[in-house]
Amino acid sequence: MTIRTATRPIEATMSDPSLGLPTITMAVPMPGFPAHREFVLVRLNEDGLLYALTSTEDPDLRFLVAPPEPFFPDYAPEIESEVFAALNTKDPDRLLLLTVITAGANETTANLMAPIVVDRDSMRAIQVVLSGTGFPVRAVMNPVY
Amino acid sequence: MLVLTRRSGESVMIGDDVIITVLEARGDVIRLGIQAPRDVQVHREEVYRELQASNREAASPTQDEVRAVSKMMKPPFTSD
Repeated sequence: MTIRTATRPIEATMSDPSLGLPTITMAVPMPGFPAHREFVLVRLNEDGLLYALTSTEDPDLRFLVAPPEPFFPDYAPEIESEVFAALNTKDPDRLLLLTVITAGANETTANLMAPIVVDRDSMRAIQVVLSGTGFPVRAVMNPVY
Repeated sequence: MLVLTRRSGESVMIGDDVIITVLEARGDVIRLGIQAPRDVQVHREEVYRELQASNREAASPTQDEVRAVSKMMKPPFTSD
């Protein structure tokens, strides 16, 4: 197993097949990526705000994700009990909410309509679609500092 | 495409475990009830398409884009 050190470049960490991180299984594949079920969460910056959800089956496929709270303090989506069942959730406090980030040339947006919910005990995840809530698919992200 | 005529209260089965029931038909608005196993996600098509497009756009950003986002999330006094 390779140990990640602070001096390792992001590129090496993200393309390293021996990541040695717990695998997250998508209980339902993400829309657009039906064949990808296994991912690892790779931390990309030391403040812990940016992660790459990286496919273990296809190291070229990754999504930038971040906890939404620092950027969208009022964002508190309701998660339905069907999601708990699909994730084998025993304790809802163990759920981790991540928003998918789209990096653009002019602006960076976060998908608040469909956050990824990860159960840290079962290591199962699902991209929950909050349709009818009015949460935008592309919410502009501003620096938190 | 299979075309079926149903009255409200009647259902259609897809496979062994998906049941679609017509709940109400009023003018050109039809209310449907859908029962499906929990690993089958049910979405309005336009919502699903929008999400699919957004996921594809978000997938596999370039290193430059990753750096730009990473920088945005760091305190300004941290050297990159």
